Amino acid sequence: MLIGEFEFMSITDLTSMSKSQIEIRKEINQRLQKLQDEISDYCYQCAKCTSGCEAHKLLELEPHKIVALLKRGLIDEMINSDVIWTCMSCFKCRERCPQKVAPVEILFALKNMAVASGKQIPGNYTAMLQSVLSIGLLQDIKSVTTKNNKTVNRSDLKLPEISKPTDPNKFRMMLSKIAVEKI
Amino acid sequence: MSNKIGVFVCHCGINIASTVDVKQLVEYSKKLDGVVISKDYKYMCSDVGGNIIKESIKKHKLDGVVIACCSPRMHEHTFRGVVEAGGVNAFNLEIANIREQCSWAHDDKNRATEKAKALVRGAVSKAKLLEPLEKSKIQITQKALVIGGGIAGIQAALDLAEEGHKVYLVEKTPSIGGRMAQLDKTFPTLDCSGCILTPKMMEVKNHPNIDLLTYSEIQSVEGSIGNYNIKIKKKAKYVDIDKCTGCGDCVEACRMKGHVTSEFDEGIGKRSAIYIPFPQAIPLKCTIDKESCLMLTRGKCGTRPLCVDACEANAIDFKQKDEIVEIKVGAIVVATGYDVLDPSSLYEYGYQHSKDVITSLQMERLISTSGPTSGEILRPSNGEKPKSITYILCVGSRDENECPWCCRIGCMSALKHVYLLKEKLGDEVEINICYTDIRSFGKGYEEFYRKIRGMNTNFFRGRPSEVRNFGDYMTIDIFDTTTNKLFEINTDLVVLVPALVPRMDADEFARKLRISQSGDGFLLEAHPKLRPMDTFTGGIFIAGCCQAPKDIQDSVAQASGAAARAANILSKKELEAEPLISFVDEDFCSGCSTCISVCAYNAIELVKGEDGKQLAKVNEALCMGCGSCVASCPSGAMQQKGFKDKQLTPMIEETI
Amino acid sequence: MGDLKMKKYALYPGCIMPTEQYAYEMSIREIMPLLDIELIELKGFSCCGEPIKSVNQMLTLSLSARNIAIAEKEGQDIFAPCPMCHLALSECKKVLDTDTEMNKRVNNYIAEEGLKYTGTAEIVSILDLLHDKIGIDKIKSKIKNPVKNLKVATHYGCHLIRPSEIGRPDDAENPQKMENILKIIGAKPEYYPEKLDCCGALLNANLPESALTKTGQKLQRVQEQKFDVFIDTCPWCHRQYDSKQTKAGETVATKLEVPVLYLTQIIGISMGIENEKLGLNLNLSPVDKLNIWGK
Repeated sequence: MLIGEFEFMSITDLTSMSKSQIEIRKEINQRLQKLQDEISDYCYQCAKCTSGCEAHKLLELEPHKIVALLKRGLIDEMINSDVIWTCMSCFKCRERCPQKVAPVEILFALKNMAVASGKQIPGNYTAMLQSVLSIGLLQDIKSVTTKNNKTVNRSDLKLPEISKPTDPNKFRMMLSKIAVEKI
Repeated sequence: MSNKIGVFVCHCGINIASTVDVKQLVEYSKKLDGVVISKDYKYMCSDVGGNIIKESIKKHKLDGVVIACCSPRMHEHTFRGVVEAGGVNAFNLEIANIREQCSWAHDDKNRATEKAKALVRGAVSKAKLLEPLEKSKIQITQKALVIGGGIAGIQAALDLAEEGHKVYLVEKTPSIGGRMAQLDKTFPTLDCSGCILTPKMMEVKNHPNIDLLTYSEIQSVEGSIGNYNIKIKKKAKYVDIDKCTGCGDCVEACRMKGHVTSEFDEGIGKRSAIYIPFPQAIPLKCTIDKESCLMLTRGKCGTRPLCVDACEANAIDFKQKDEIVEIKVGAIVVATGYDVLDPSSLYEYGYQHSKDVITSLQMERLISTSGPTSGEILRPSNGEKPKSITYILCVGSRDENECPWCCRIGCMSALKHVYLLKEKLGDEVEINICYTDIRSFGKGYEEFYRKIRGMNTNFFRGRPSEVRNFGDYMTIDIFDTTTNKLFEINTDLVVLVPALVPRMDADEFARKLRISQSGDGFLLEAHPKLRPMDTFTGGIFIAGCCQAPKDIQDSVAQASGAAARAANILSKKELEAEPLISFVDEDFCSGCSTCISVCAYNAIELVKGEDGKQLAKVNEALCMGCGSCVASCPSGAMQQKGFKDKQLTPMIEETI
Repeated sequence: MGDLKMKKYALYPGCIMPTEQYAYEMSIREIMPLLDIELIELKGFSCCGEPIKSVNQMLTLSLSARNIAIAEKEGQDIFAPCPMCHLALSECKKVLDTDTEMNKRVNNYIAEEGLKYTGTAEIVSILDLLHDKIGIDKIKSKIKNPVKNLKVATHYGCHLIRPSEIGRPDDAENPQKMENILKIIGAKPEYYPEKLDCCGALLNANLPESALTKTGQKLQRVQEQKFDVFIDTCPWCHRQYDSKQTKAGETVATKLEVPVLYLTQIIGISMGIENEKLGLNLNLSPVDKLNIWGK
């Protein structure tokens, strides 16, 4: 509500001077409701997720804080951070949460949003995506070294031909249509 | 059937009169078939209004009354009294609600008046068909049954006994005392639990009005409010209680001594097959547990049963049998208590992995002087004193995967333990409390919490994800939200404070008594705020943790309340039964049981009619006249007195 | 002999197993026929999409759906040896079976390739195939050389047992199916506190050092507790624990010498199949340390 230069009845995070992104939070909750039948509202910050988070000790990911920031609607802060990419999808947080909140799924949503907003995708993800688009798999057949230092690949080991999309063009068409979709 | 009806129209000040033309209504009513007199007054519910009605009844020899006024919820009871005082049967009264359903709902005076006329017209046509009804009287057995001998059951039994009523107190275990007997001290005053409990237990033992049946279970409950027939199974103790002196020599001598898991010690202590649950047991008599006694399971105990040799009073009787006792009571108080959630379902906390992960109730037993370690705090794995004890609160509580509810006493009992442990082990023992919230809501609780905060206790605000057992010690990683740091706690004794859950046999028990349970499995109160001791079944009341987790003082308060509610019934010689109840027209009943499935008061049962056909029968004492069965009956066999189809149909036709 | 019915499953290989973790595929192809399982080869499979869920979850759902649809078209149930694929396909199935709107949307996409998800295929993992479908007794009957007294550390990984709410092949907190199988073949699986720890593989995409640290930390503990062998059943995990063991050791400053085998490899060994056929020369961890014919 604007009267002159002032906005009344708003909530501002004084560290970043950002306001709650209510619409985006609603969107994320809708996605969580749809896919996992739960929303983030029920979290009471017991931090059981963070206490057991596989990525926390090494990389300082705090799943309970992610949920808290989501509840507060401070989405941009997370989308622009590197920490959301430290989750290793072990699913322990989703498994053990007493309120059926799934920080891991919230992180997937945030990562998807980061990509969609044009932020640079870290690491190898781009290469993996490109490979899927071109040959349908994350990587092509590799040659591996045995213990006796021999190099072998799939056909050397008499394994049958690998299965790939039969019509790569149709496959690519389908993928590119999906790539612009949101859940 | 009424031929001379009086119609009385109330103005209700301006509530009715400002919208409905009451004078017109009176004139209209006079012209209706069957109406002999019609009057109006400003406040029909007042003394003056009542007198107008009574005088009209006398003068015109009325045999039916219609009052056009406010909702029956307001004054139907009053008006029934007035009508009866005037000489007409209280149930030859019909109320036309021209306030809530007319004057308060509309603005248009003309149309409101027309509607009021329609309502009165319908009421008159029903009044013509109303039949006089008598409130039947039920004789009451002025005795009570209290099920459960914990502190709630003890309190209820004492209150009822003091009022002068005979009370049967039935307890499943060999002694009364319940959970309180397992505790060392109580919060927040740190009273010795046994010291405040045993005087009450003695009172129960000595009270002339209390008949104590221990080691007994309820077999069946039949009947209804005022007249319950109960069958109780008195399980065989295999000890002649008249001869047994409670000396305990047999317990010492028993071949199974130290081999039977003690229930009283919550599984961390052992007892003999013949035992007294705890030193202050009432009755102080021995009981043989037939599941673990060699003589009773195998037919022989070595060369001779050692208990028999040890018993100077010759009280052992292996031939004893279970006994069925039948009693009649007028009211029942249920105080069957709670169980504790088995933390094995939260596998990650290591309860199954390490002997040194115990529940708070097991810790109570370690702290108790009557416990397996005589009150010394020792690690179950190696019998040594722990250097660091870590409490995890809310294990299974506030958990959508286990028990969504709060256990209410977990926080306070953990704080109490801190005090007692520091007292026993010295201040150097490290005590860590991992909490989500500290709920110290009661009188004196916050003060107690403050005291514990001042006692060198490590509070961590967070919940551990798991307990890792490394043999000699355990490691708990916990994220502390107060400092935003992850702490690694190496500890040698872990105490899990588990959720409180309904008794394992709560479902079966509730079915036996025909009382309802709430979604969480605890017994259901009739109204959470205004009727917390009543159930939906007349004559049965609940108290203590069987209704919901609570601490001792709330259990005691609720027990006294339940006793008062029960005494309400028992203080009368007879009860009046509500006459506007349903009844079955046997010609039309097919025994389909639809009515039974919708009855919230368990008032209908299937009986065999004279020709062997299955028929529904309404228990007049239990029926509350809600009408659900009438609405659901597919054949129209179920009817309600005062609201029969043949009374309602003309009313509808006339109104429209 | 009696009625010998070969149960058929379409083999859904995923990405890592067929392009790199050959030993897993080899050992599966060796033991399955002996356990009366026929593996059907289907054309047209692609990545399940789970590794790129972070990029676009809709892609993941659609990729999984198309793969299930391919098997359904041929009237086959699916055997997905990679737990990550199994999770992707299972979660896709749950969403599409319960959410009609999602079902319509995804089917719309995959119709582009002439495919339709119908929800008729059962999706089976290596663990429930061995333990539940084939059964312990059958495995026991094929054992020729029980592995004697090996102290085994089992590694289930994360995607095989979590999140339990969508239904996983074993219990999330106390999985025992691998233990049951290993006991049958003569091994001695033992509990260790780090049993449910993650290998870190998914961090390879952007934080490979950290992934190796997770791997190294767990192996270090396994080594400290004097286990003879570390058994895993996921190509992602195995890549970390076996192929990258030396590097993982460097991140935790320890020389790691833990023999790491696929579950299917050790089963194959106990069934008397030659080492080379089971791809044992492809294991980079010191598996020759193992004296598996008895101690």
